[in-house]
Amino acid sequence: MKTRALGMVGLLAVVIAAIFGLFVVPPDANQGDAQRIMYVHVASAWLAYLSFGVTALGGLLFLWKRDLRFDAVALAGAEVGVMFTAFAIWGGMMWGKPVWGTFWQWEDPRLTTTALLLALYVGYLLLRHLTDDPMRRATRAAIVGLVAAVDIPIVHFSVVWWRGLHQTATFGDPAKLLHPSAPLLFVVALMGMLTAFTIVWAYLMIRRYQLARTAWQIEEHGRLGRISAARQAAVRPVRPVAEPHPEEVGS
Amino acid sequence: MSGLARTATVALAIARKDAVAELRGKHATTSTLFFAAVVLLLFGFALGPDTRRLAEAAPGLLWLAIVFAGLLAVGRLHLVETDDGALEQLALYPVDRRAIYAGKAVSGLAAMLILGIVLLGVVAVLYGIDLAGAWPALVLTLVLGCIGFAAVGTFYAGVTVRMRAREVMLPLLMLPVIAPLLLAAVKATAAALAGDPFGELAAWLQLLAGYDLVMLIAGGATYGFLLEE
Amino acid sequence: MNDALFVIAGYGVILGGLAVYAVTLARRLRAAREESLRIRRDARQGSEPGR
Repeated sequence: MKTRALGMVGLLAVVIAAIFGLFVVPPDANQGDAQRIMYVHVASAWLAYLSFGVTALGGLLFLWKRDLRFDAVALAGAEVGVMFTAFAIWGGMMWGKPVWGTFWQWEDPRLTTTALLLALYVGYLLLRHLTDDPMRRATRAAIVGLVAAVDIPIVHFSVVWWRGLHQTATFGDPAKLLHPSAPLLFVVALMGMLTAFTIVWAYLMIRRYQLARTAWQIEEHGRLGRISAARQAAVRPVRPVAEPHPEEVGS
Repeated sequence: MSGLARTATVALAIARKDAVAELRGKHATTSTLFFAAVVLLLFGFALGPDTRRLAEAAPGLLWLAIVFAGLLAVGRLHLVETDDGALEQLALYPVDRRAIYAGKAVSGLAAMLILGIVLLGVVAVLYGIDLAGAWPALVLTLVLGCIGFAAVGTFYAGVTVRMRAREVMLPLLMLPVIAPLLLAAVKATAAALAGDPFGELAAWLQLLAGYDLVMLIAGGATYGFLLEE
Repeated sequence: MNDALFVIAGYGVILGGLAVYAVTLARRLRAAREESLRIRRDARQGSEPGR
């Protein structure tokens, strides 16, 4: 019930923050209305990175404690994170076209890093789908998630160098967001959207964790279920059999 | 015998075992080499016949060919063992897991270096590049790039061993991770071929070396978990 | 105002996507919980004598 209330609060907060960002805040002096996309874009990017931090931490704790609950946390972070990463890229593209004149700006290290981030964690989720045993899946996912987390700063660093060693940036910098003509309203809009998205993120993380735990219980019951099914099949003949043969259990 | 020396001995023994298996008629490296050479030929068809354009793109094309061929090379790293269940036996030996990782990485590195050096020659001939003055820097780039690739490749080959859809999952997982390596290696190769006009070669080589170090540590620290499954 | 189209596309996909994911997730969770309950009930009945 508490989680449900959290979801309601998140929904309300997002609606309010969206109305504020779309209709209350005046358009930016340089970027016009396109700047409004920044609120959802920055909020998505922040939660993408937070999610993958949670995934790496969950993986680390799993390797340490060997508790599948940490693996469920890591899975929740990866799936929710992939969604927010996709949103961040989409928002960046929708902002980039009117402001930079192009959907994809190769010179922006954040955009290219985020695209690789998406690829890394889509791979992480696929890896999980393709491994059946829960412990093996959790171990593989944990170490792949850790290596991915180690790789991200190197990717970012190298891409910054890549465009920066003998070239200067000529495009509008999203960081200028925080000192335009009417600073306070812009800051309020951004902070409001960040807060609203973070509440929704917390709600989604809890729900995804619960789903992962329930799915794991079904998996476990499935194993026990096969045993009891074998037992029933063994009981049905005239001659009662108390315990199933090992061959029947394994089938 | 000290711990480090023992680790090195075990690692070299594993690498030698792989080399012997390779020399005794598996010939996998040879076929990988021809695959990569054909890839370079096709790049020529895709971008040619303007030789200047090919020469400009040569560093990127060389490293793409090395990456594609390298994916095949590291994909085979654990196959010798999985075919006959020897990986489980290897995991049972009372040796440091990092030694097994290092051994596999060394045999991967050997295959990568052979690939890299031959492909460098193929690129020079096909795309009309003059390698004469750039040898030391190119070889250093090649060695650093191949170390990083082998470090990451050994790790992901271990992760995807006995996984469904292994052939797709290895490149899918590995390619985003080696993006910084590709970027730095291509830049370093281009700088070396141009005679380093902007003085950036050292920076890219440092980035490569740092990447190698981080990935070797990460791979060595986590590889043991794969064998415990 | 041409920018408005991009703003609508940006907000539409992101907020819409969030809503779709939240609803889908709630459905998946409900289905999984029902499945879990059913399995547990079946398992209990299966272990009772005379069934």
